[in-house]
Amino acid sequence: MNIQMMNDIAVHDLSIHAKDGPIVMDVSLALGKGRPLTLLGESGSGKSLVAQAIMGNLPAGVHATGGVIFKGVDLLAEAAGERRKRWGRSIGLLPQEPWLALDPTMRVGPQVAEVHRYVKDKTASDSVVAAKQNLAEVSLSAAEALYPFQISGGMGQRAAIAMAHAAGTELLIADEPTKGLDAALRDSVTARLSREVEAGRLLLTITHDVAVARALGGTIGVMLDGRLVEYGPAEALLAEPQHAYTKTLLAAEPSQWGRKTRATPGTTVVTAQGLEKRYGDRVLFSGFDIEVAAGEIVSIVGPSGCGKTTIGNILLGLTKPDAGEVVREGELSPLRFQKLYQDPPAAFAPHQTIRKGLKDLARLHGKDWSGIEASCRRLRLQDVLLDRLPGQVSGGELQRFALLRALLLDPAFLFADEATSRLDPVSQQDVVTFLLELVEETGLAVLLVTHDRDLAEKVSTRLIELEGADGRAA
Amino acid sequence: MTAIDQTYQPPKSGPGATRLAGAGLLVLLAGFAIIGPAVISSDPAAQDFGASLAPIGGDFLLGADHYGRSLLARLAHGARLSFGMAFLTMLAAAIPGVLFGLIAAWRGGWAERGFEFVATTVLALPGLMLVLLLLAFSPGNYGPLFLGLALTLWVEFYRVTKANTKTILSQPHIEAARMLGFGSRYILTHYVFPVIAPMITTLAAFAMATAIIAVSTLSAISVGLQPPTPELGSMIVELLPYFAEAPVHVLLPAALIFLLVLGLQLLAQGERA
Repeated sequence: MNIQMMNDIAVHDLSIHAKDGPIVMDVSLALGKGRPLTLLGESGSGKSLVAQAIMGNLPAGVHATGGVIFKGVDLLAEAAGERRKRWGRSIGLLPQEPWLALDPTMRVGPQVAEVHRYVKDKTASDSVVAAKQNLAEVSLSAAEALYPFQISGGMGQRAAIAMAHAAGTELLIADEPTKGLDAALRDSVTARLSREVEAGRLLLTITHDVAVARALGGTIGVMLDGRLVEYGPAEALLAEPQHAYTKTLLAAEPSQWGRKTRATPGTTVVTAQGLEKRYGDRVLFSGFDIEVAAGEIVSIVGPSGCGKTTIGNILLGLTKPDAGEVVREGELSPLRFQKLYQDPPAAFAPHQTIRKGLKDLARLHGKDWSGIEASCRRLRLQDVLLDRLPGQVSGGELQRFALLRALLLDPAFLFADEATSRLDPVSQQDVVTFLLELVEETGLAVLLVTHDRDLAEKVSTRLIELEGADGRAA
Repeated sequence: MTAIDQTYQPPKSGPGATRLAGAGLLVLLAGFAIIGPAVISSDPAAQDFGASLAPIGGDFLLGADHYGRSLLARLAHGARLSFGMAFLTMLAAAIPGVLFGLIAAWRGGWAERGFEFVATTVLALPGLMLVLLLLAFSPGNYGPLFLGLALTLWVEFYRVTKANTKTILSQPHIEAARMLGFGSRYILTHYVFPVIAPMITTLAAFAMATAIIAVSTLSAISVGLQPPTPELGSMIVELLPYFAEAPVHVLLPAALIFLLVLGLQLLAQGERA
């Protein structure tokens, strides 16, 4: 890990301490012009904290030691006020899920113009012209007069990039810039970020998506439990990972998985014919037929907004179709139709400990607690996790709890709605592996909705492609 | 950022202290209002013209008013009346308000539109006018005063309950709970109440403060409770002509109102933060 003097940013021996001990230890890394740095790791590995230490917005009660040298100046030695002055001027942040970071009460154009007007002190008319130019660069001229709630996620993402570009900071920190985006949008975002690098800006990206790291190139750092376990040029690191965790991480990418052969499907669990759904004048899909049999994994792939989640919800009876009908096999109780949600924390009551939720569920259905304990061991969920709130466990663990919860009811049909899209590759593989085992053992019928084609191809018995009905806004 | 949210929670210091101060103040005042009338032997209506405007400290601990009535006794009874009225008014506003809010959020449709119409209509009427209107039927009585205030105050409870319950009910974890077989009662007691309860307590503290001020103000302009009832607002007005001779006497009931409302506001602020 030699850090040359020509680097524009050099971080050495960065440690971050909370009240009850260090949470990031001895991280040293560097990035320069044309050599972006990508930090890979699962949530809770401390990669966001490293970025916050460089940015200077660590949460209260947490402090950093070591050194962050930016063009010969140690940022950690600067006072909070001086560091804040750098924000938007020499250091910029592309926030996580940027459409949430846009001002909902302001049109997109003026939001970009604001950067020119108040950060770069241009005149009002110059700002408007410059903002138009910025939006045109990301092909968003049409969205200038729209409010953030009128644009799609991908457009919001590009608007945020336009702002980051407008600020023109030397260093750009991108925090999970592709979280929740489908493959096509993800690629367009990474392409934009690469363009920023070509324009001579320093780029630090934080992600759990190996594909993003691969596309950006430069240097990659892999973080695990607050330590930088592997660090080196992207090509070398991705081709020949040294550390065991890096190997696991790379092997966990769906494109690397082995294709498993599946037993022949059993009896049909649910059938739907001639489904149609429209929102206002817009027809989402029509004449859609689907059939899912026991022991079968049927995947629906397609871009975001094409109505794949709606189909799953119709099969579960949560949404009413505008036409068509759903037939469930025989005398199956509605409780045997279950769902896994895209955002695991949203599927649990935020103020209820996991143990309480599971206990109440077991009592409601007259199940034994020992059965839950056995499932916990099976899904490798430690006992200590049970007493935490849903927000205090990782997404992967929580999704396994959601699986456990559904299993308690002996499901016949499970709708997995992008159930792994917000998880890091290792957690995703864990959840999917368990799901596959269950399908084999219990003859569970699974409808998998995903925007990850690799994942769908590797695990499903059948794959249904859904096109965006009338083109996509993004 | 996710890493931090999961592992680290910033310490809560400021709001806790505010809330504690408010609660402490209220406990002291409640003690005075509840135990005071029982311990203080003198009758708040007993007149003794020889002791008219007796100074603080002498035979009377807090002095006496122009009729020679013990101010300490009158203040204790006044505090009990204000507290009691405010508490009852709050309950009469909160119970239907929360109930209607839950029904509107739960059922939607016509139920919601109906309640919404009533709430908007009530809001369009000036609160004071509603109280005066009801008071016109039987002036100086507790009943109409209490009813009038409750009628204006329930809308806040209704609106807050409805808006928050609707948000909670639209979240995926409620859908998940229903699919797992949990009934409406479980969802209400375990998922909705724990979230809205702190907001309702905050509103309750604000509503009590509003009720105390309203009762005192109405009595002060002689449309609320009538003398000789020891009511804090009417005590101020009765003593006002003697301000030059006994300024502190006038300020005592005012100070008590101030402390009651301050205590409630501090408590509400602390909970809100």
